[in-house]
Amino acid sequence: MQDIQALVNELVYKLRKRKMEGSDTSAQLTVELLRSVISQQKMSENQAASLIEAVREIGVKLIAANPVELAVGNIVRRVLHIIREEELSLMAKAVQGMGVDDEHNNGVKDNDHVAKILTRSPSLHSLLDSAKTSSNSKGKADKIANLKLKNNVLEAVNYLIEDIKICHEQIAEQALELIHQNEVVLTFGRSRTVKNFLLAATKKNRSFQVFVAEGAPKYQGHVLAKELAAKEIQTTLIADSAVFAMISRVNMVIVGVHAVMANGGVIGPVGLNMVALAAKRHAVPFVVVAGSHKLCPLYPNNPEVLLNEMRSPSELLDFGEFSDCMDHGIGNGAPLLHVANPAFDYVPPELVSLFITDMGGHNPSFIHQLISEHYSADDFNLQQHTAS
Amino acid sequence: MWWRSPSFILDRQQQQEQNDSVPPESLFLTSAAPSMADSLQNPKSNISAYYQTRAAHHGVVTSDWLAQAQAAVGRHSDDDDSSESDGRAVPTVGGDGVSGKAFSVIEEFNNWRKQPDLAEAVAAIRALAAVIRASQATTMMELEIELKKASDSLKSWDTTSISLTAGCDLFMRYVTRTSALEYEDFNSAKSRLIERAEKFGEISCKARRIIAMLSQDFIFDGCTILVHGFSRVVLEVLKTAAQNKKLFRVFCTEGRPDRTGLRLSNELAKLDVPVKLLIDSAVAYTMDEVDMVFVGADGVVESGGIINMMGTYQIALVAHGMNKPVYVAAESYKFARLYPLDQKDMAPALRPIDFGVPIPSKVEVETSARDYTPPQYLTLLFTDLGVLTPSVVSDELIQLYL
Repeated sequence: MQDIQALVNELVYKLRKRKMEGSDTSAQLTVELLRSVISQQKMSENQAASLIEAVREIGVKLIAANPVELAVGNIVRRVLHIIREEELSLMAKAVQGMGVDDEHNNGVKDNDHVAKILTRSPSLHSLLDSAKTSSNSKGKADKIANLKLKNNVLEAVNYLIEDIKICHEQIAEQALELIHQNEVVLTFGRSRTVKNFLLAATKKNRSFQVFVAEGAPKYQGHVLAKELAAKEIQTTLIADSAVFAMISRVNMVIVGVHAVMANGGVIGPVGLNMVALAAKRHAVPFVVVAGSHKLCPLYPNNPEVLLNEMRSPSELLDFGEFSDCMDHGIGNGAPLLHVANPAFDYVPPELVSLFITDMGGHNPSFIHQLISEHYSADDFNLQQHTAS
Repeated sequence: MWWRSPSFILDRQQQQEQNDSVPPESLFLTSAAPSMADSLQNPKSNISAYYQTRAAHHGVVTSDWLAQAQAAVGRHSDDDDSSESDGRAVPTVGGDGVSGKAFSVIEEFNNWRKQPDLAEAVAAIRALAAVIRASQATTMMELEIELKKASDSLKSWDTTSISLTAGCDLFMRYVTRTSALEYEDFNSAKSRLIERAEKFGEISCKARRIIAMLSQDFIFDGCTILVHGFSRVVLEVLKTAAQNKKLFRVFCTEGRPDRTGLRLSNELAKLDVPVKLLIDSAVAYTMDEVDMVFVGADGVVESGGIINMMGTYQIALVAHGMNKPVYVAAESYKFARLYPLDQKDMAPALRPIDFGVPIPSKVEVETSARDYTPPQYLTLLFTDLGVLTPSVVSDELIQLYL
């Protein structure tokens, strides 16, 4: 248990100090940490409940370390969902009177249906017969089942890790259908997913042009432009302020984002909303590429305030340049110059045309469906559970 | 548009010939006691029973309105002897619904729906449970047929009430669905059905609490909420927010003609929430101060839009025009299998409107009680199934009724 604690603290430290670049990395690290948590969890009477409790405890800590890094919370919820699903499928097996030590693949198929009924989020179906399933055969789980559960969960978590690793490729596979010969694509900032997507589109000798908006104040567009040019894609670097001027020549906007919210809105690098509005104005499709770990089951109620982060002013101004007017010590004590450097922008779902995830292309209104497939409703609010 | 179509004009002519006894002047205010013959034969053409009940429960009735209503009751009192104290007559068509016994499902339903705290769907389901209890069927099939008849007669008794229809549909769906009735014994299945139906009242109250809890994240300190009409769910939401020590103020529209907004502002004032009353036409004027619009719904339709008290549509349009979110709070048993294509694409639910002065008979009065708000003007729906975008509603409905 000691080394788990150390691992958790290390990740918490990294999150708190913002030492990680990109939500992919934090998702990866979180899921690997949770895997070791699960594998080291001791056997107990009610294995599933204790696993859920352990994962949630760590999840709350990680989220508190960096609430803006939504991917961490998403992964924690995904793992909780996996545990719940495996528990239910085992339970369904027990109910059906089948041997628990059946071959795994076989069992999953058979119990798919039962498990689906049991894991359904609240619906009109179950409105009248609520509180019927919970009393089912809790006591039946014995030691073998516990061991089985842990193995199944670990296996599923390994699948999840694999999924996160290969999600770029899976998204990129759809590139050829979206980007056509001689088209002009605009992108904003730098995203690994977008880079892979664009590179995949160059297969079959397809040639197209890419406009890269530089993405102030981090200027990661510069890096992307360099990378694309190195792969012999015709690339044009433009200033963020030139997006509107150029958008009429663009066939499609493709961007990567920080998180996709439950209503289909996205949180992306600052300046993204401006790009989306420009695209809307000229009826240019605004396509968002995102791995499924970026799906967040929360609603952006008041996104401008809650889900943003103010970064250091040094990205905007060199130290020393304005230091005298920013100094608190001079005059009446209040600084004359403020620097606001928000990291994120919220783009409402009306401005997004299409989501490309590793599961295919989706309309913004379909995101809710994806979320109900990937998460259980009990886990949406992790903090509240610990309080009650 | 149904009112422009030749068939509609023909219908109206025929109808006018039929009830020559009812003079056209009665359009503007008769109506606390609708003429008896009418409500028995053709409930559709009459004043909507649903909106009448709503007005009786939530409306604020002015004294002159009351006086006129009483006069109207007096005028008709000789020909409708079965008229209830609240002016609603109880037709006994239930007789043909439940195989000629003394028991009438409609009477039962009306008894339930007189309780102001009971939702219409709950009343419907309770009434259907009473059908099961009174039934002498010996097989599931018989019972189902009996229930079907009862629910049909209930539905046709008041076609304007969406939650009545939705409640009946939901319960029938529950009864016919085999998985819920895996009992070999008929009697245990029957008692199970009755038990679930009785519990439905609790479910409905719980739904309101769930909605109130879900919506708390969306009410932030210092916000201004515009509310239209009187909705028990919205009141619960605001009550919970006030209990959670949130600081917010509420703008209530007046909600003509039954002035349901007055009632809501009254309730909110009791909770020490700052309230401001607006006349219905002041919505656009005040919209720039408003942070969000909160409305209830009489019914949520398959497109994800809502059917609600007259005026909701224009408020949603104004809010959309000024980029303010429109939130709908509605229990999931209000989801109805309807797909209105436009405003006039529903059975008209008419209600009397009091203008205070006599209206010349040549002047037509728009007496519709509700309107349809298309989904593109709604931001989110708070239901007991969770916070949903309008498009998810159709998903839910398809899953249930496929």
